[in-house]
Amino acid sequence: MSANGVAPTGSGEQPAGAGQAGVHPDGALLQVTDLRVDFRQAGRVVRAVDGLSYAVPRALTVGLIGESGCGKTVSSRAIMGLLPDTARVTGSIRFEDQELIGLSERKMRAVRGSQIAMVFQDPARSLNPTTRIGPQITEAIHLHADVSKAAAHDRAVELMELVRLPAARERFRSYPHQLSGGMRQRVMIAIALAAQPKLLIADEATTALDVTTQAQIMELLRDLQQRLGMALIMISHDLGLAASFADEVLVMYAGRAVEHAPTRKLFEHVRMPYTRALLDAIPRLENPPHSPLAAVPGQPPDLAHEHVGCPFSPRCTSVTAKCREHAPPFEEQEPHHRWACWHPCGLEKPS
Amino acid sequence: MSTASAPLKVPVRRGRGGTLARTAESPTLRFIARRLLMAIPVLWGVTLLAFAVVSHLPGNAAQELLGINATPAEIHQLSVKLGVDKPFVTRYLDWLHGIFTGTLGHSLASGQSVTSILGSDLPVTFELLAYALLISLGLAVPIALLSARYPNGIFDRITMVLSMAGLSIANYVLALVLVYFFAVKLNWLPALGWVPPDHGLGQNIKYLTLPAVSIALSLLCFYARLLRADLIEQLQGEDYVTTARAKGVGPWRIILRHALRNSTFGLITVVALNLGTLLGATVVIEDIFGLPGIGHELLSAIGYRDLPVVEGVVLVFGVLVVLSNLLADLLYSALDPRVRYGSAS
Amino acid sequence: MAAPAETTVPGVLEPVGVAAAAASGRAGRLRGAAGIWVPSVLILLIFGLCFVWPLIGPVPSPTGGNILNSNLPSFSPGHLLGTDATGNDEWSRLLYGGRASLEVALAVNAIGISLGGLLGASAAYFAGWRDTVTMRILDVLIAFPSLVLAVAIAERLGPSEVHAIWALSFFSVPAYARVARAATLRVRDRDFIVASRLSGTRPTTALLRHIAPNILPQLVTFACLGIGITIVLEGALSFLGLGIPLPAPSWGNMIAQGQGILSAAPKFTMLPSAALFITVIAFNLLADGLRARWSAQ
Repeated sequence: MSANGVAPTGSGEQPAGAGQAGVHPDGALLQVTDLRVDFRQAGRVVRAVDGLSYAVPRALTVGLIGESGCGKTVSSRAIMGLLPDTARVTGSIRFEDQELIGLSERKMRAVRGSQIAMVFQDPARSLNPTTRIGPQITEAIHLHADVSKAAAHDRAVELMELVRLPAARERFRSYPHQLSGGMRQRVMIAIALAAQPKLLIADEATTALDVTTQAQIMELLRDLQQRLGMALIMISHDLGLAASFADEVLVMYAGRAVEHAPTRKLFEHVRMPYTRALLDAIPRLENPPHSPLAAVPGQPPDLAHEHVGCPFSPRCTSVTAKCREHAPPFEEQEPHHRWACWHPCGLEKPS
Repeated sequence: MSTASAPLKVPVRRGRGGTLARTAESPTLRFIARRLLMAIPVLWGVTLLAFAVVSHLPGNAAQELLGINATPAEIHQLSVKLGVDKPFVTRYLDWLHGIFTGTLGHSLASGQSVTSILGSDLPVTFELLAYALLISLGLAVPIALLSARYPNGIFDRITMVLSMAGLSIANYVLALVLVYFFAVKLNWLPALGWVPPDHGLGQNIKYLTLPAVSIALSLLCFYARLLRADLIEQLQGEDYVTTARAKGVGPWRIILRHALRNSTFGLITVVALNLGTLLGATVVIEDIFGLPGIGHELLSAIGYRDLPVVEGVVLVFGVLVVLSNLLADLLYSALDPRVRYGSAS
Repeated sequence: MAAPAETTVPGVLEPVGVAAAAASGRAGRLRGAAGIWVPSVLILLIFGLCFVWPLIGPVPSPTGGNILNSNLPSFSPGHLLGTDATGNDEWSRLLYGGRASLEVALAVNAIGISLGGLLGASAAYFAGWRDTVTMRILDVLIAFPSLVLAVAIAERLGPSEVHAIWALSFFSVPAYARVARAATLRVRDRDFIVASRLSGTRPTTALLRHIAPNILPQLVTFACLGIGITIVLEGALSFLGLGIPLPAPSWGNMIAQGQGILSAAPKFTMLPSAALFITVIAFNLLADGLRARWSAQ
């Protein structure tokens, strides 16, 4: 596959149309179709994810980008089946031809870790503080393979070396608080890789780290992904990060997908005004000093209330009456490029 | 709690040094030493309070011992003998001196040395308390585990209600209710008495059962609730639980291998802190069941106006509580690897 | 987990944070309100019966009964629960006994919350050596199991209601001081407190006007527990003959009285036991309800 990594469109299996993912052939590792997640909270229903559809091909990195509360984390937890009981999940999540929604907890446990693994945001809190890190890794190994303690121990050290943890053999018996943030995150990655999953979801995996470490970890993830032929979903609010490390980018807003394209195409031809705004908000060195930051005005919508029209309309600079009345469909409107907007950037004459 | 740390360093021992030098180097030992030092003034305060309360409150000890019909001469004679005519400070220092030389005086009633009285009483009390702790913890842990596994399920709701009731029963009330049902009505267990272990362990335990249960019930309810709360807090709030679930770990393993581990040292600390209250309970329970422990000793010594014994018993109570609080402090730090290992070690 | 030594409330309550499945929604709110009103009503009922009813209702004197009337069974005319061995009306003894026990409990906790609360809050507010010294002294007091010292004190002073109050206050003051101190420590560093201190507010004003309202919820919740605990302790003292002296009734000494005839006539022990139980559980439930309500905010 090329650097953009996108196979030709539609082998005819996927019907094109509103709300359907149609970009990749059936070879996709993970196929999310019309995913909806509702939370029942204090008598209200909050719709955290509202009809999300996308596919993750093998051995590629998909960047899932959006503000806090846009549903990116919730959707990934839905894939793993890690949502609390107050959540209602509808739609379809197919992993290698197995439907994950509605799967029994026991079967789901077999999938977690061995097929799909996850790395979380805050390594300080995501590791058990009273257990040494070695056993936390071997636990993942033992869960999905029948090996001896010694073999698991060796494999764990192997993994620690794989994630470039210095002095791996000695570190086996360290406690999490004895390691720095970057090292802890490497341990988390080692744990996630223990059972050789086919898909790794990195949920804001570098957000809690300083910039240098962030770069190191992302490099590590990319390297591992290529070496192990793993697919990677990279969840972040940082569009710049996606630019550097993702093959495809999916932008989410208010629980919906609003733009999806291979990375280069997205950045060269931004269509959705929200994505444009996100891009503009990234501070650039070329700008003169003390330029005001182009922040996106307004607040994301309250997900407890049903919205009519495009959810971004209150904050959009290109908004019209049509936007407020009818929500635009999320469709492939150019080859390999899907978006949901009545007035995409660069395609309309200013009125 | 430190966050970033340098890569693993092997500790370099600079020069040689004896225990003191090694203590100064190790943060844990320094911590223990500091705690011990802080306990000393408290211990001293305890001795002062014990002495003051028992020997210095209004009322003429000699007068009370001899009764209303005593003549002033007799009172004076006994006062001198008791040493109560000396000023407070002198008496206190004498007593303290006695403690350091290993003697607490002699019983006015029996002449026996107070230390030997305490020596024969303490094992009884300890056995009772150990039995009560065994029952309470032994039941609290499984109950809490089941409740936390299925929070707000049937089992959980029932245990919450029952434990609230259990906590609200005074231990002497429970003791009498138990005696009524199990000793009087059903005749399964004896109502009172004591058989030392060397006279038959089975009998010994039989006689201790009702008293131990009387003490254990409210403890059981307290510990079960505490542990359940802690477990649920971990299961619902802690990120490492999510990591474990993402690994594919099953719910029971998460509770037992992860959450329980983290909750245990907190529970043990609370148990140690509670030992003081536990000791207080022995006063009434030993009285009801006729067990020859230090609680019972306190009451009978009070009844006989046996000052030296009362002083000694009150002192022992105080010291035991201080020690158990110290133990709690130390246990908490010792068991938490974050404190034990510090940062780069 | 926070270090338990200073933040654990001794007794019933487990640390805050356990949601009974996050009491949200109307059902949760109703349950929350019920958790406060139900025990409150029960407590009011108990107080009404013990303090008010004997003044207005047909309740005979609890002492000075006629020996000819002794050991009447329950539901005898004029004696709802029968009479005891000296002819005293059992129902009356139950009510007056409750009054005595509750008086002691209220007095002890009132002293505790005012003196102890002030002491603990000041220690935490001023910090420094004042704090350390106060806490060391309190540690010594708390070091003794309450009953042991109360027994020793009460014995020296002689059994009476007032002496029982003194003896028990010895513990309630340090206990409240500890709670007040922990609560004040948590509040002390909040912005508006710091601001008031920097702007030169006098400590007394600061304590009364700023700190007090903020630590009151914890103190009140602890007071509910404290009353329950004190009733039980007073019961123990009276049970041992060191509290309220016979023939004046107290639930504790009634239980002790009944102990001798437990097999023959269990009701003399069971009735005050039940009264004790119901009262304590009401206060515990109230404490639970208050804590749930106040921590949910």
